[in-house]
Amino acid sequence: MARAELSITRRQLLKSGLAAGAGGAVGAGALGGAPASAATAGDPWYRTGEIRTTYNVCDMCPWHCGIVVHTVDGEIRKIDGNPNDPKARGQLCPRGQGGISFMNDPDRLQAPMVRTGERGEGKFQEVSWDEALDLIAQGLNQIKERSGPESVAVFGHNAGDWWWADHFAQAWGTPNAAKPSSALCISASEEAAELTFGFPIGGYEPVDWDELQCVTLIGTHIGEDARNTKMQDLANLHGRGGTIITVDPRFSSAATKADHWLPIKPGTDTALLLAWMHVIIEEEAYNADFIEKWTTGFDRLVEHVADKTPEWAAEITDLPAEQIRETALEMAANAPQALIVPGRHVAWYGTDTQRMRAVYLINVLMGSYGCEGCLHFNTAPYIDDYSLPPYQVEGSAGGCAAEPDEDDDGPLGDLPEGPTGKARADGVQESFLQGPTALQELIEPMITGDPYPIEGLICYGTNLFHSVPMVERTKEAVQNLELFVAIDVLPMEHIAYADVVLPEATYLERHDDLYALAHKTPYIALREPAVSPMYDTRPGWWIAKALGERVGLEQYFPWDGIEDYLNTRLRSIGSDLDDLRARGGIIVQEGKPFFEDFDGESPFLTDSGKVELYSSVLEETGHDPLPEYEPPDEAPEGYFRLLYGRHPVHTFAKTQNTPALSKRYPENELWLNASQAADLGLSDGQRVMLENQDGVTDGPIKLKVTERIRPDSVYMVHGFGHRSDGLSRAGGQGASDNRLQSSYTLDPISGSAGLRNNFVRIASEA
Amino acid sequence: MRQAFLLDLAQCIGCEACTIACSVGNELPDEVTYIDISERVRGTFPDLVGGFDNHRCYHCGDAACVNVCPSGALYQEDGLTRLDWDACTGCEYCVSSCPYGVPVMNGGVATKCDGCREVTRSGGTPWCVETCPSDALQFGPRDEIAAEAHRRTEALRDKYPEVQVYGESQAGGLGVLVVSPEDPEVMGLPLAPRIPTEANLWQELVKPASFWVTSLAAIGAGVLGVIARRNHMAEMQHLHGGDHAAAATVHDHEQTATPTALADDQTTPPSTGDDDDEVSR
Ligand code: SF4
Ligand code: SF4
Repeated sequence: MARAELSITRRQLLKSGLAAGAGGAVGAGALGGAPASAATAGDPWYRTGEIRTTYNVCDMCPWHCGIVVHTVDGEIRKIDGNPNDPKARGQLCPRGQGGISFMNDPDRLQAPMVRTGERGEGKFQEVSWDEALDLIAQGLNQIKERSGPESVAVFGHNAGDWWWADHFAQAWGTPNAAKPSSALCISASEEAAELTFGFPIGGYEPVDWDELQCVTLIGTHIGEDARNTKMQDLANLHGRGGTIITVDPRFSSAATKADHWLPIKPGTDTALLLAWMHVIIEEEAYNADFIEKWTTGFDRLVEHVADKTPEWAAEITDLPAEQIRETALEMAANAPQALIVPGRHVAWYGTDTQRMRAVYLINVLMGSYGCEGCLHFNTAPYIDDYSLPPYQVEGSAGGCAAEPDEDDDGPLGDLPEGPTGKARADGVQESFLQGPTALQELIEPMITGDPYPIEGLICYGTNLFHSVPMVERTKEAVQNLELFVAIDVLPMEHIAYADVVLPEATYLERHDDLYALAHKTPYIALREPAVSPMYDTRPGWWIAKALGERVGLEQYFPWDGIEDYLNTRLRSIGSDLDDLRARGGIIVQEGKPFFEDFDGESPFLTDSGKVELYSSVLEETGHDPLPEYEPPDEAPEGYFRLLYGRHPVHTFAKTQNTPALSKRYPENELWLNASQAADLGLSDGQRVMLENQDGVTDGPIKLKVTERIRPDSVYMVHGFGHRSDGLSRAGGQGASDNRLQSSYTLDPISGSAGLRNNFVRIASEA
Repeated sequence: MRQAFLLDLAQCIGCEACTIACSVGNELPDEVTYIDISERVRGTFPDLVGGFDNHRCYHCGDAACVNVCPSGALYQEDGLTRLDWDACTGCEYCVSSCPYGVPVMNGGVATKCDGCREVTRSGGTPWCVETCPSDALQFGPRDEIAAEAHRRTEALRDKYPEVQVYGESQAGGLGVLVVSPEDPEVMGLPLAPRIPTEANLWQELVKPASFWVTSLAAIGAGVLGVIARRNHMAEMQHLHGGDHAAAATVHDHEQTATPTALADDQTTPPSTGDDDDEVSR
């Protein structure tokens, strides 16, 4: 009962505040005239007290919506979408609404700690920041002297990862910096675009939704994948009567809004895409002008798909040929205001770069690029970096910047090397062609020392045991490390293995670098703290600087404080912090989204200046120059393919412990087709244990017996099955898809880890 | 002026941004929210249709909960059913009288959506409306909301041949006008909302005006109480400048005067979770 009393007390406080200050407003007819306008930052506020509004960027997922944070008498009461922000547009998704609860999670890491027990035991002693940082500096310097700076890896995830996986790593001199958002997420889509258009497409897919008439979502489950802007865009399209085609083994939330749902056999998407191309070409429904002007290799593509008929694909995809034909024609009828959304997490089967090329090729056939209602060109914002001395390893750290040197001979060029002459240890150019550092490929060198040992790891915000496949291997790897530093907000499972744990302040309590995002209208957004950090926590930028200064990198951290850093950058565009605040926390700049903005020049950056339907780089390097369908591994008898995805109130494995969010979806469920459940004698709500193809077990997990999934697959929301004792709400809730991913299929082009060739059976009733 | 919500179930994608905005914005315990989202999908793989239920207080024009509340905790203001926790005595009459099963008890008091009282009084938009990323929610003068509901219905007819506006006539006209992409009954929205049978004798006496006439013969000694109660209600309405439209539509309810049990598939109201969770602020 304590809880409810508490709530009433708060409400009473609220009421009496109002009675004192705003009583006159009751019944005064102050209600707005228009039906529902989103409140702006200046709207009347319902509380009395000292009310402050700060501008920030949401960090509850990597989408980075601009937010306004309202504090009353120094306490954050509400977060709203920043109406000036091109992503938020005044609204927020459920996770964004839960930000205050994330900050107030009593399970947060509260002080720097040094490990006293065995790795994994979770025994620590609290120490001062000075002690913790000195200890880390000593460990880093030892590794550097013994093995070179390249033997320290830096992993970074979430906002703030720039300070670590880019800035610190490059200054320190290690090319082994990686982000899970690359090889475990978008690398394949980026490399496919690189090969086809000459530049990466960007994690913020450049889709001009406003004029779009027909959208196709392959696996992208907007609505469950709750990226705010995408939900708004899909809803607007639906509301104005646009066509929605979803391709998904599951009747997803988006599928409930769709005109066509194609419940495809998992892993066969490329066959569907080739058949769609076949129909569009056969029916001459392609955009001949666009193809003539902007592409190379069309004839070869025509030849390539000549036999990829809907009937051919129907056999493979388990979809009716008629449905394949019909949807192809529907897309083409709306072209060029029709496209397939690239999607974000595309690390599925290890054939992902080829699938993504096929996605781009269809969009190009329909001429859906560079015009209204098409894919548009993103423009990078113009603002200077803080001027710094050259890095120890230039452009190769931070994963995302790790492109081969273009000036060198051959299609690949030379890889940048660290101070002792070592290039990336992730096997790029050997086991895969190109792309950002593949995080999962840095685990093996920690165990084998091949090609050289990785002895230290700084892990910033990366949930090591809930994002990287082969969890047991990762555990073995961190056992081998000389130095393992974890910087995080919550005591995730891997924290128990760290030698030194540094507690970070949440986004609501800290500054960060400016968010300067490439976009249709590029923009710059501010993150400022609304309150000071709780406990003895510190911002990531502060930690990076304090550590940098202890390991001789002070020249890379010359600013006097974060405001000095931010003002210096802002002055390069004639602004400063006061100006940015006065503008509502956002500076929007002009973009060049369409062909007409390029004055007849080609916006494409391939050697030919054209879209390479037929990829010369892939041909030269021995890969299929046109996308081929390669069948995925088949499920062993009695096993289901393990699919995973999102729930709208959760992000990765990050929010399951957040009080307000955990109450809405406390544990994940295993979606199992109703006919299969009947055959197995299982019923809805029952808890079961799962076993995968390698004998790895996990659970118990609650069954969701449903018609909404194919009989050959099961599905669970990613990010559950936490086993950390420190997570009082998330611990022991549901199962971990990641733990059941005891293998992955490396994409030989992008280095992505295909995660969907794992299979489970229901081992027992729990 | 009578205000209303628009709830467009064709647009709602079940993301729960509204439920969390509701809980956080109203500073409720984490497990309490006044909106309940659940999936409603019918058919057999792969022939499926459906979407999401978005169950919440409908702000009835003739609100059974207001009519039965003996303490004045529930009252109407600008067409919205407000709830003053301080005045609630915990009698639970509203819980058993609501035809939509909305109010629930939390820590001894009734809880339900009260249209973000403090926010809307000061000219703001209810938290759920403000955040909905799917344009499923709007808030404003009821006539404008009705017009918007009809505009949307027409725009959606190609996609959803059965689409219609729900709530214009039910329970004295609802303060939530629903764009229902299918037959409302299929969506769990009763065309003739009914007051549950579980009412005890006292509630028999104090239930809405349209009902108590039929119960008169059985009243006996309770009459005085009823009269006292009705006087109190009039007072409350006067006090809060409430909308009197309810009185004019009293007789619309005659048809449902025989109380019937809630249909089995009536969506359940938001409920509290377990008791172990402290509010952390
Ligand atoms: S999509 Fe949601 S969680 Fe992600 S940044 Fe936007 S509001 Fe935050
Ligand atoms: S926020 Fe909007 S889309 Fe999401 S559940 Fe609520 S009403 Fe539906």
